[in-house]
Amino acid sequence: MSSTGIRVAALDDIPEGEGIAIDKAITGTADNIALLRDTDDSVYALDDTCTHETASLADGWVEDGFVECPLHSSKFCLKSGEVQGLPATRNACPHRVEVRDGEVWLFPGEAP
Amino acid sequence: MSVGRVVIVGGGIAGVGTAAALRTGGFDGEVTLVDAGEFPYDRPPLSKDFLTGTRDLKEIALQPPQWYDDQRVRLVNRTAVTALRPRDGAVELADGRLLPADRVVLATGGAAARPPIPGADSDRVHVLRTADDADRLRLALSPGAHILVVGAGLIGAEVASTAVRLGCQVDLVDPVAVPLAPVLGPDLAAWLHGLHAKNHVTTLHASVESFTERSNGIEARLTSSTGPRLYDAVVLGVGMVPCVDLARTAGLDVDRGILVDAGQMTSNPAVLAVGDPARVRDEHRAEHWEAAQQDGARAAATLLGAAPPEPSASWFWTDRHARHIEAVGHMDTASDTVLRGSFDGPSCAVFGLRDGLVVAAASVDDPAAVRAARRLIDRRIPADAARLADPSVKPRDLLRG
Repeated sequence: MSSTGIRVAALDDIPEGEGIAIDKAITGTADNIALLRDTDDSVYALDDTCTHETASLADGWVEDGFVECPLHSSKFCLKSGEVQGLPATRNACPHRVEVRDGEVWLFPGEAP
Repeated sequence: MSVGRVVIVGGGIAGVGTAAALRTGGFDGEVTLVDAGEFPYDRPPLSKDFLTGTRDLKEIALQPPQWYDDQRVRLVNRTAVTALRPRDGAVELADGRLLPADRVVLATGGAAARPPIPGADSDRVHVLRTADDADRLRLALSPGAHILVVGAGLIGAEVASTAVRLGCQVDLVDPVAVPLAPVLGPDLAAWLHGLHAKNHVTTLHASVESFTERSNGIEARLTSSTGPRLYDAVVLGVGMVPCVDLARTAGLDVDRGILVDAGQMTSNPAVLAVGDPARVRDEHRAEHWEAAQQDGARAAATLLGAAPPEPSASWFWTDRHARHIEAVGHMDTASDTVLRGSFDGPSCAVFGLRDGLVVAAASVDDPAAVRAARRLIDRRIPADAARLADPSVKPRDLLRG
């Protein structure tokens, strides 16, 4: 597990209740990683592609600890990636994130 | 009496949703799911990726095989329930076995409607409701094949879109000039219907009078047409008929669906009904994926004696010609509509308003607008038409007033 964080964004780059996708060329992971900012300003990271069909969770609706897929509304827990409702059946992979001085640091492949 | 054994009849989204919600809610008794197929699968892909062959049956399973073990849901597959025996606390299976059941949840779904058009019993006339139907239809959708799709609602439009993508020559016929206008609003519905022609699907405004089998195809006579047209195959997408036979034979109240209360209970308190065949008195059957899942959640709450989940405005999605469409609420109750974006732009949404509140919305490639609308409806947040219409105001910010 890597312990080297990558500074991937400023907190202000991610609108509240929304997400941005960080390209896998930057994260070095198999999938892009979605940075998701909840309505309480906390930031989480999940593999970007919904585990159901091809949709970007960074385009999803982020609210109250969950992100809702923009295609078919499967919900995933922001903290754990656990799927909360069909049609998706598999959990999304979570990654550790730290926000320091308004900068978002991502630890790809590291459990939160 | 405590509920120890629940038998769910039918493995669509409503049946599997009931089982999942029972376990999530802490139900500790036995859960048995009886299904006619090999395993429960998701139906929306049957007209899309499953029909093209891009995804196979395993890839559209509603739950992975391990889920049934993990959740202690006993799957009795390839089996039909032939009778309910609530007085005996059991259901009867096709082979005569009795399955003990303190409560039964009917998730029997529906069958594709087959209107009484002369000649519609031909093998060249397809419907689409099951994976077997889709497998059979896929064989007919070969490149260059002439296909007639009857009914330009959700299933018909999706099949026409998939067929043309597979290289078929597609005619799409409907007696309604602008299908889906009540749910999407007339302008968006007209634009969406027009999308077919832009994608090489010929739309015909007519009814089918008859089919006649010929050596080289099937002939369709349309009410508007000058002469009969010859097709390789026909697909009927004209709605569904709820499966209510088990309920009727068991003496339950049935009237255009199995009548249920707000907690999905039928006229027999030992039997609940969910999904497509269930109907709350004075309401229409919903016939949508999410509604069926929510029925399951409500049925589970009833069985658990728990508070039902919060109601939410009805929502559905559909895809055609690579555009993703979503709708929420009841557009036919709106007194005004507001357009966000333009129909010919990359995305657009229509909001339906009444008395200063959003009552419905529909979008093309703008699902966030519908997610926002759903919350505006559910939370009764007063709407500002100018802000709704302004694409520079982000959907998220529409909730902030």
